[in-house]
Order: sequence, then C-alpha cells, then structure tokens
Amino acid sequence: MTGGPAAYTFEWSAVWRGLPYLLQGAGLTVFISGVAMVLAAALGLALAVATQTGGRAVRRLVDAYVELFRNTPLLIQIFIVYFGLPQLGLRLSPFLSGLSALVLYAAAYNAEIFRAGLEAVPKGQHEAALSCGLSPGQALRAVIVPQAVRIAFPALGNNLVSLVKNSSLVSTIGMVELMFVANDISFNNFRTFEIYGAAAVLYVVLVLALTRLLRVAETRMARAA
Amino acid sequence: MSVVLQSLPHLLRGALSTLGLAAAVLVVGSVLGLAVGLLRFVPWRAAAAAVGWVVELVRAVPLLLLLFFIFFGLPALSVRIPTFPAAVLAMSLWMAANTAEVVRGGVQSIPRGQVEAARSLGLGWAATMRFVILPQATRRMLPPFVGLCTILVKDTSLAAIIGVFELTRAAQETIERTLRSFEIYGVAAAIYFALCFPLTRLAARLEARLSPS
Repeated sequence: MTGGPAAYTFEWSAVWRGLPYLLQGAGLTVFISGVAMVLAAALGLALAVATQTGGRAVRRLVDAYVELFRNTPLLIQIFIVYFGLPQLGLRLSPFLSGLSALVLYAAAYNAEIFRAGLEAVPKGQHEAALSCGLSPGQALRAVIVPQAVRIAFPALGNNLVSLVKNSSLVSTIGMVELMFVANDISFNNFRTFEIYGAAAVLYVVLVLALTRLLRVAETRMARAA
Repeated sequence: MSVVLQSLPHLLRGALSTLGLAAAVLVVGSVLGLAVGLLRFVPWRAAAAAVGWVVELVRAVPLLLLLFFIFFGLPALSVRIPTFPAAVLAMSLWMAANTAEVVRGGVQSIPRGQVEAARSLGLGWAATMRFVILPQATRRMLPPFVGLCTILVKDTSLAAIIGVFELTRAAQETIERTLRSFEIYGVAAAIYFALCFPLTRLAARLEARLSPS
C-alpha cells in the first residue's frame, strides 16, 4: 500500500505472535462464562422456585431483584461491585468482582426464563405427582423442575451466548480474558486493526460453535422427550 | 448525601447525552436494520444468504469489541473517527444487526400463503413486503424491538470507555472528584433504571396484548 505518511502496512505476523496469548484469553472467556452460567442458572432456578412456592413478600423481593438487574447496565453493575463495594469494606479481586457481577446479571434473566418454564408445565402434572404420593417438595424436584428446565433450555442457551459476549466487559476492571488480551497486545504493538480483527474472529468462532452445540443439544432433548 | 445532590446536575447532563446517543443509534440502526432484515427475503437466494451471514457475524462480536475496532482499529487505515460518531457507528451496526433479526422473526411469523396470495394478485416483491407482509409483521416485531431499545439504552454506557460524555462517563468524572464510587454509580444506576424500566413494562404489555390468552 502506498500513499501519504499515514499509509499503513498490514503486519499479520503480529497476530501470529500474539495468538498464544489471545487463545489463553479466549480460554478464560470460556471459563468465566461457563462458571458464571452454572452459578447464574442455579441462582435463577432458586429464585424462580421461590416465587412459585413462597408467599407474596418473596415474590415482591424476587421481582425487585430481577427488574433492578435487568434495567441497569452491566457495566455499572461491574463498577459498583469493583469500585463501589470496597467503600463499604468489601474488596474483591477483579476476577471475583467480574464473576459476581456477571452471575447477578445473568441470574436475573435466568430467573425470568425459569419462571416462564415453571408456569408452562401443565397444572395436572403437579396434581398427578401429589396423588401418586409424592410430597410437594418431591413433586417439584422430580416432576416439575425437570420439565421446566427442558422448556427453558433454548432461552437459557441464548442467555449463555449473551453471557460470552457480555464477559468482554470485565476487561474494564482488569480481568485477563479475550478482550483484555486484545487491548493489551494492541496498545503495545499498535497493530490495532489486526489484533482486534483476530479477537473478533475468535469471538465469532466461540459464539457460532456454541450456537451450533446448543442447537444439537436442543434437538437431542426434543427427541428424548 | 450532599455529594449526591451536588453531582446530580452533572449526572443529568450525562443522562441527556445518553438519550441523544441512544436516539441517534435508534434512528440510524433501526432504519438500516429494517432494510437489511428485508434483504434477507429477496428472491435472489445467494444475496439473501450472504446478508444473513453478515448479520450473524456482526451479532457474534461483542459490542465492546466492535466499538474498539472502529475507534482504535480503523485509524490504522487512516480512518480517524471522533468518539461520538464512532460510538454511534458501532452501536448502529449492532442495532441494525439485531433489528434485522427482529424483522426476520416478524416476517417469518406471517404464513407463506400471504406471500403467495399477494404474488398471484400481481404484486411485485417490494409491494408484497410493503403492503401485505410488513403491516402484519410489525405487530409481531414491536415487543422484541422495544426490548432491543432497552438493551440499547443500557449498552450506550460502553461509549464511556472510549471517552464519550454520557451518563456513565459523567459518573466517572464525578467520582474522580469526590471518590464516592458507591453512591455515584448507585445514582447513575437509578437514572438508567428510570429510563429503562418504562420500556421494559411497555414491551411486556405489548407482548401480553399480542398473545391469544
């Protein structure tokens, strides 16, 4: 490429040199998304079950939690955990701050997904389980929740995909995942175009692979049902 | 508490800028998204598939990366864009891809017989879309689109990272002076909530009105 003084020569070898570090970052992106999703699914399910079985006060509380976390930016939530909580004496590492913010955020969405799932299970299932001699707790655990999870699965999968992308925000508090690595490399070698391009490719590969995987799991599940 | 009160005007100026940014993206992104979404249904198969691929690729990239690529990556090609337009551009691409997906869902929810009936009446592709499919699909598209707008308002906070003055940046500036991160981010969160919660309720109400039960 020729031109004025600002002409830019691509140097794709920079990508090659940065690749091990980028892949390491992608690994941590997968790791934190996975851990956050498992915890957020557990928390979301617990909240959804609580709204179904608890009294009105419990439902109000869960509603407030869900609306609060769904209607404020994740970035602000991350900043409150990482910069705000130390002011109250709670100091968490970047990893734990990022993880807990992601879990709290995703759990609010998961709670709504599980609630819809629980409500979609026909009432007769509950009655049938009780008349088979199961206790309400057993009916919930062995009959209702498994069906609700199956109904909720596609929406949970979409939420996981969002989580992988949203995990890029924890780079702002210094967690060394894919986005952070991309910043780190490109601010050092100034190969911003190539490095961000490579990071984008890695995200696309992650997200498309995950989407395919979820679709396979979905059809398997539908066939098993 | 007095810190919060004193900083409120600055934060509200930030909120105003957040609304401006969101409005700009809303206009550019949804018009582009509607066009791109409809392009996925053009009779020319290869073009429709290519458009679908582009939409899927843009949607697979985190918005933050899109933003950094445009703001830090493009200057390498001597395309230097100031912070605000860079944010509008990145977020409009994101908004367009997601709007296109909403449009696709809406159009696909209309029974094929509608297209066939319109075509056999002699309407062209564009007229079929314009007069038969879109008026019906819009009803289906509205709830997810309002949901998308909520996400957009929240995601404008990312613009702060490249230095655009909006609500999150205003909060950061205030905290640099006062060091009260918990309270100030808390107030910022409350303002975002006040902007987003009505949209969430609207989406839920539209959804309820559409469902048959």
